[in-house]
Amino acid sequence: MKKTIQKNNQDKLELEKILLKSNDFENLSFTNEKTKIKFCFTYMSTLIDEKILQDNVLPALLKEEFQQLDDVKEIIPISDVQISDNASDIEQKLFNGYVLLTIIGEYNKYCFFAAQKEVGRTINPPEVEFSVIGPKEAFVESLDMNLNLVRKKLPIKELIIEELSVGALSKTKIAIIYIDNVVNTENVNTIRQRLEGIQYDDIADSSYIVQMVSDNHNSPFPQLLDTERPDRVSSSLAEGKVVVIVDGSPHALIGPTTFVEFFSSFEDYFLNWLIASFFRLIRLFSVAFSILVTPIYVAVLSYHYELIPRDLLNALVASRRAVPLPPILEALFLELTIELLREAGARLPTKVGQTIGIVGGIVIGTASVEAGLTSNVLLILIALAALASFTTPVYRMGNTIRFLRFPFLLFAELWGLLGIVLAFCFLLVHLIRLTSLGRPYLEPVYPLRKVDFKDSFIRLSFSSQGHRPLLLRSKRPKRVDESDAKKKKDIDE
Amino acid sequence: MNPVIPENKKISPFLVFFVINSMQTGVGVLGFQRIIAKSAGYDGWIAVILASICIHFVLWMMYKMLEIAGGDLISIHTFVFGKTAGKILSSFYILYFCSLAVTTLRNFIEIVQVWMFSDLITFWFALVFLILVIYIVYGGFRTITGISFFSIILPSYIWLLFLFTIPYANFTNLLPIFNHSTKDILLASKDMSLSFLGFETLLFFYPFIKRPEKSKKWSHLAIVFLTMIYLYLAILTFAYFPEEQLQKNIWPTLTMWKIIELPFVERFEYIGIANWCLIILPNACIALWIASRLTKQLFSVKQRISAPILAVFCLIGTSLLMTRDQINILTDFVGQCGFYINFMYVPLLFIVTLIAKKVKER
Repeated sequence: MKKTIQKNNQDKLELEKILLKSNDFENLSFTNEKTKIKFCFTYMSTLIDEKILQDNVLPALLKEEFQQLDDVKEIIPISDVQISDNASDIEQKLFNGYVLLTIIGEYNKYCFFAAQKEVGRTINPPEVEFSVIGPKEAFVESLDMNLNLVRKKLPIKELIIEELSVGALSKTKIAIIYIDNVVNTENVNTIRQRLEGIQYDDIADSSYIVQMVSDNHNSPFPQLLDTERPDRVSSSLAEGKVVVIVDGSPHALIGPTTFVEFFSSFEDYFLNWLIASFFRLIRLFSVAFSILVTPIYVAVLSYHYELIPRDLLNALVASRRAVPLPPILEALFLELTIELLREAGARLPTKVGQTIGIVGGIVIGTASVEAGLTSNVLLILIALAALASFTTPVYRMGNTIRFLRFPFLLFAELWGLLGIVLAFCFLLVHLIRLTSLGRPYLEPVYPLRKVDFKDSFIRLSFSSQGHRPLLLRSKRPKRVDESDAKKKKDIDE
Repeated sequence: MNPVIPENKKISPFLVFFVINSMQTGVGVLGFQRIIAKSAGYDGWIAVILASICIHFVLWMMYKMLEIAGGDLISIHTFVFGKTAGKILSSFYILYFCSLAVTTLRNFIEIVQVWMFSDLITFWFALVFLILVIYIVYGGFRTITGISFFSIILPSYIWLLFLFTIPYANFTNLLPIFNHSTKDILLASKDMSLSFLGFETLLFFYPFIKRPEKSKKWSHLAIVFLTMIYLYLAILTFAYFPEEQLQKNIWPTLTMWKIIELPFVERFEYIGIANWCLIILPNACIALWIASRLTKQLFSVKQRISAPILAVFCLIGTSLLMTRDQINILTDFVGQCGFYINFMYVPLLFIVTLIAKKVKER
């Protein structure tokens, strides 16, 4: 028996030896005034709110009477006090903001109490998914605060929050959230399995997780929806989806998701369904426009002049008369300029970024037309296409859309319209093959599920949203009990 | 005997509509009018209906056989002829489907070369196209069904655009009705049946259908739908072209597009032909998928290996066909094969299967 005690103490001593190299490691001893028992605090000063220690814990321990660690629990005025006899807990607890309390002479017993220092942002309005109407709070980096935001929105016992830690070095805490009696357990199992299978030492953000748990790692398309809005998370949970929140990341991940979901902004649900549907259709149209317009320009001007009616062709040719470059080079030149501006704008502080935007947009644009490097028409088209690509509510998808333009351009240069169709076929097949947590990505179009159209390209009124998406195969497919739904009245009744 | 196909790799019965339809719609739609008018003149539309009725009958026989043997064509062959003879017979189908893929692809390239790019190099286009096909085949049958689905849905607007020809149409061209002999009309029906080829693929993907008995309705509907399309096109074409002019037109459907004028599009046939790329895509995919699956079942070669190998053969075949005459010879040959397979061999097999069933029951 004695041997194990000694061994345990050795563990602690060895740990201390390593920790002493760090400047923020503290190991302080005090003596109780009444019983003259010597006790010792061990903690990392950078993680601890020392005020709690000084004002609440220390006076109590100095003045109140206690004999052994088991008595301490009642004396310390803190709720989170744990007593353990396992030395392997020490490291994990110390680095999570606990203070280790030991009594000198009493081996193999460790008391931990929580005294975390809360450092971090407070809740701010969403920046990426800003909405004019609706709640204005966004997730922050702290997992606890994020979970608090979600819990407050869904105050039911069925909301389950599982926690696991991933990453050999970063020990990142990851929470899997779902509503137990709504979700499809298969989806939860899939995501849990994949999270547990992650083999990487440092998880810096939820973006790491998106890439690691995707069904297809080589696809440019995001396969989990990421959002910074707690309201979007709670409504996804209510639909029966699974949410993953990563400690240190203000973006929650939602799955399984579909292609069209990336074009629905959460603000759509705050607007009347007619208006919301209209906006969604505009967004989808702008995506198609953004991808196709430059390739079509290149295809038509390189190969199919005849396709354009004479009047329109006159305008096109007139604007291109002074341009010495073939259409593809002209288009690539402008596309790259836009991408340059975007990259520069993203890296610079807001104020400088604006200036750069004006300089780039107006000066370079006008100058390159006047210098005869590009045509006016193409300048307009490319600017519109760039604008259109920013209408996608999910930033990640916007990047994909901008990327897709380049292969389309190359195919258009190669075989004109035929090339564009061929590139489109490649894209289509890729999307057909893609899955999100094993669920088809192109649903509800393929596989065709009529009922799921109610919230895809368009969003119908809430009265027709009585069923959860078929895609999720939820345990409770119905959201509302329709038995007491109102019967429609006839005229003049 | 047959390895069980996992439930999540199967397709819902209604998707059979799209698979059969997309396999049947190919390059034939662009030029069938002249062929039926050759023998039956402007009574050719009767031939469309006659051919369609025959096909319903053959389709019914296929379903009966498949139900008896429980599986695909290979199981029917084994059921009737035993293992070795069955294998030999089935292996002819690999050849048939490969040449079907080559015919479709080469004919499409020919159209592109004549109408859009005279300098399109067959080899390079076929290479990219076949890479796409292999990518689809690797996705399995569900992906193929998906591309079939989109190849019917997305270009469906084209059918409406033919209405642009109505102001220029003269429907009295069709009169008088029945001024051709029965023999002429039957000959035209035989020619027409070639445009319907493709439904024989049912013999191979039947095990991939969930609740196959429910798919019957959909596959017959597919034939009805296609008949409607053909009738619609045939009548519009006959009204649009005088008979002598039609005889000089290899691709009347394409010529009809020339009349379409939209505020921003002058020559619609360019868009139409580019679109046709999506329409013929499932043809090649299904053909190559069946060929590679047969290779797997008969010679136990993995589909992942056999599909690219067969695609290379298709690529070589496609690039070797240089002139219009060569293409015509192959097209006619494959057409004849298809005719004999579907309208001679299948009924024969049907009767033999019934006999074999009777014998085995005793």
